[in-house]
Amino acid sequence: MTKLTINNKEYSLDLKGHETLLEVLRDHLSLTGTKTACEESECGTCTVNINGKSVLSCITLAADLEGEEVTTIEGLADEDTLHPVQQAFVDYGAVQCGFCIPGMIMSAKALLDKNPNPTQEDIEYALDGNICRCAGYPKIFDAVRKAGECLQNGTANAKVNSEKKEKFKSTMAKGLTYEEFLKLKE
Amino acid sequence: MSISTNSSENRINLNPVGKSVPRIDGKGIVTGQTKYVFDVSFPNMLIGKMIRSPYPHARILKIDTTKAQQLAGVHAIITAKDTYNIKYGSNEYFFPHTVDQMALEAEKVRYIGDEIGAVAAVDEETALKALELIDVEYEQLPFVTDVLEAMKPGAPQIHDAMNNIGVILPVNFGNPQRALKESFHVREDKFYASAAAMAALEPHVCVGQWETFSNKITLWASSQAPFKCREALAKTLKMDLNDVRVIKLAVGGGFGGKLEMLPMDFAACLLSKKAGGLPVKICYNREEEFSFSRRKHAMYYKVKTGVTKEGLLTAMTGEVIADGGAYCSYGPTVMAAAIMRIFMVYKIQHFRINGYRVYTNTPISGAMRGFGGVQSGFAIESHMDLLAKDLGLDPIEFRLKNITTPNMVTVNKMILTTNGLKECIEKASAAADWTNKHGNKNYHKTGNLRRGIGIGIAADVMGSKMYKSHESAGAIVKVEEDGSVYLFTGAADTGQGSNTALSQIAAHALGVKYERIKCKAGDTEITPFDTGSFASRVTFISGNAALRAGQDAKMQILEIIAQEYKVNIADLDLVAEEVRNTKTNTVLMNFDKALELCYSFNYGKQIIGRGSYNPKTTPIDFRTGEGNVSGSYGFEAQIAEVEVNIETGEVRVLKIWDAHDIGKAINPQSVEAQIEGSLAMGIGYTFTEDLRFKNGRVVNPNFANYRVPRSIGTPQMHSILIETNDPEGPFGAKGMGEASLLPTSAAIANAIEDACGVRIKDLPITPAKIIAALATLNDPLSTHSSKEISQ
Repeated sequence: MTKLTINNKEYSLDLKGHETLLEVLRDHLSLTGTKTACEESECGTCTVNINGKSVLSCITLAADLEGEEVTTIEGLADEDTLHPVQQAFVDYGAVQCGFCIPGMIMSAKALLDKNPNPTQEDIEYALDGNICRCAGYPKIFDAVRKAGECLQNGTANAKVNSEKKEKFKSTMAKGLTYEEFLKLKE
Repeated sequence: MSISTNSSENRINLNPVGKSVPRIDGKGIVTGQTKYVFDVSFPNMLIGKMIRSPYPHARILKIDTTKAQQLAGVHAIITAKDTYNIKYGSNEYFFPHTVDQMALEAEKVRYIGDEIGAVAAVDEETALKALELIDVEYEQLPFVTDVLEAMKPGAPQIHDAMNNIGVILPVNFGNPQRALKESFHVREDKFYASAAAMAALEPHVCVGQWETFSNKITLWASSQAPFKCREALAKTLKMDLNDVRVIKLAVGGGFGGKLEMLPMDFAACLLSKKAGGLPVKICYNREEEFSFSRRKHAMYYKVKTGVTKEGLLTAMTGEVIADGGAYCSYGPTVMAAAIMRIFMVYKIQHFRINGYRVYTNTPISGAMRGFGGVQSGFAIESHMDLLAKDLGLDPIEFRLKNITTPNMVTVNKMILTTNGLKECIEKASAAADWTNKHGNKNYHKTGNLRRGIGIGIAADVMGSKMYKSHESAGAIVKVEEDGSVYLFTGAADTGQGSNTALSQIAAHALGVKYERIKCKAGDTEITPFDTGSFASRVTFISGNAALRAGQDAKMQILEIIAQEYKVNIADLDLVAEEVRNTKTNTVLMNFDKALELCYSFNYGKQIIGRGSYNPKTTPIDFRTGEGNVSGSYGFEAQIAEVEVNIETGEVRVLKIWDAHDIGKAINPQSVEAQIEGSLAMGIGYTFTEDLRFKNGRVVNPNFANYRVPRSIGTPQMHSILIETNDPEGPFGAKGMGEASLLPTSAAIANAIEDACGVRIKDLPITPAKIIAALATLNDPLSTHSSKEISQ
């Protein structure tokens, strides 16, 4: 049995040995969010993340992935909230037929996790392995740039929020007036 | 992390027309939850594979399937013996003689890949093994793959057509010979536009199921035209239309390639019948997709034009020869579009161009985005620049003298009403700073790099009656008691965003927020009829149906309110979720309250709006080219700025400005996205996309060797939307999505000549061609004069 960790979930699979990660995702686990348009490492449609790096699942042997963290498009959103990259793709009109989009988003996420403030050149290089036949890329570039900004702000916001929380806790411990409580709540 | 990048989360879009609302299917796509036929799987589903000819031209002597049938796991094998041998085609209504393909060929194969049968097995591995066990005996026949050779007397006969000419299309007006003679200047050019592949990322894929006892067929198809597919299935399988249901799920791109039934669709259904009703899935791989689906016609385009001293076009003659491949497919109408598009763009009275669509033993040419207009756009718009240069005129000045105008009837009786072509040219030229850049030898000349700028213009139809006498679209707007609104449309969203645009139109027409709409599209059993996604017709034609359905539903609601409150219905309106008395300018109630009333004890009235639209056109006389093919026309001007490295011949497209008369942008973001996608496809076609054959076999059937544009090198794209508010369009909108692709190759070729003085007349434009052309210039570093290379 091969033990795989996909989207933080453990799977025990009986593999023949030659299955690619793509086959395991789509055929064994019905995780059909990951697509493929060539199965020969040319189109980028099957991109997933392994330990945060973008990887082509069509040429990755599943049996080699024990102990690695695999993330697919299904693993990005937080319950009902889209990941900022996903949200940016919707907001900036980067989506047309959508078939390349899961792979495109996984490449973009791998880039932004490493570098949330990429230059135009960084974005073009990171996405060059992902073919989009519909959109011609400008709106995809916009989405990735904006998602990067968002991730930066988000990290900043999260930091502010945690400081506020700490302050709230310590003040609560001391006791405070109702007005002070309301003010803090803001 | 709950961060919105654009605060579009929870935004409410009242009056949604004209707003860049998020795609109705956006969240499904970005999470991978949207289902394509590619993702579909059913219990006990079999996998099908096509039995294909390995030869470009051969007679089928014997097919022995005995060994394959005995293989464990094989459920069904079909050949022509299992069929009615009924031919089908894509232009049956206007060109019945071009109906020339059988779902499974019985006697002869005409290209490498031609389908003669199919197998269904428990899995792909078994199906492939079965293919190897099928013995087919062929008698190989002489074959011809070059289109010019195919036209010569004595060439191998592919069908019954004389000289392999499947379609002759003469377009003839006035007296061009005399007008040419009387012209101040006459110029002739020859161009070649190469074959290309649609290369949609989702391959052709379908699941067919034949419920054998109830005798019902369901096909889940990745289709641009489910109703067209249904018609072809019913015809070839001898079923009633209503016994065939075609369901379109999300489609991963079409670009023309998914506009007609392929033998695989037919085979999936028939295999299912033979397998006792088990569903059968057939999915192309990338090699099959490049080699055996459909491709763009390669065209030789010869054109001769006369002009007056002042630069007015007097006459045009010419000849178009198109490599049609093994069957006719959409060939006749592609030829018509390749020749007749010019009438929407230029005023010209004397004209004769003959089109020949020729059979060869190569993969089938069909409809591809631009529908013949990409090839003709390259030829005509390159030719126009050369004419302007002969006369010493600026290319823009020359075009402005000759373009069509609003409210005119063209020589072939097209009725142009709103026409923003002049504005498109002027806005694009201003944005690109044309006057300072064009012809300016000193403009950005550094080292080996030369910059140049070029223009191309175009126009396009929004619809065309291609396979039926009408091309109507229908829509239903169903308003439920809980306030949800369902739009049912037969239109096929293949990624362009028509479900979103049509939902915006329906919501706006009904008077509710966009967020209420749920869109159900492209299911032949549930949604109203629609001819499909082609000819940039959906926003205009299906949009008009959605508009009418929304308005009809609104009137039904207002009737109840008028009755209840004893007011004149003419004084009521429902706008942005509020029922208003327009006479007293007061709000009577909101939409939810209005529905409460409609569905109350006394009324109990179901609100179901209906809409139908068939554009006002006249039939085309294909013997002359006369007829008003479309209910409206869209216009377009495009300027490309390039940088040529005269040492290496490499060309970089730096920026493209695209001004487009789209009537009214229902969703500006989607309009821009369509323009950008067209430009990318146009750039790919200009430089790298070239589907090549050797002895009839595609030699570059993969993304490594058939190079589509990737992200590196994407130029800046600047869209300028010109809103001419067409009175016939829904909220003034016209169709779009193809026009921006038409002039791109010529705009780039014209810019290359401006940059370094060479004229390339055969696509694709490669560094080698530029270097060769540069070598023939006297002094490439100083001269700006042009040297042409012809094929």
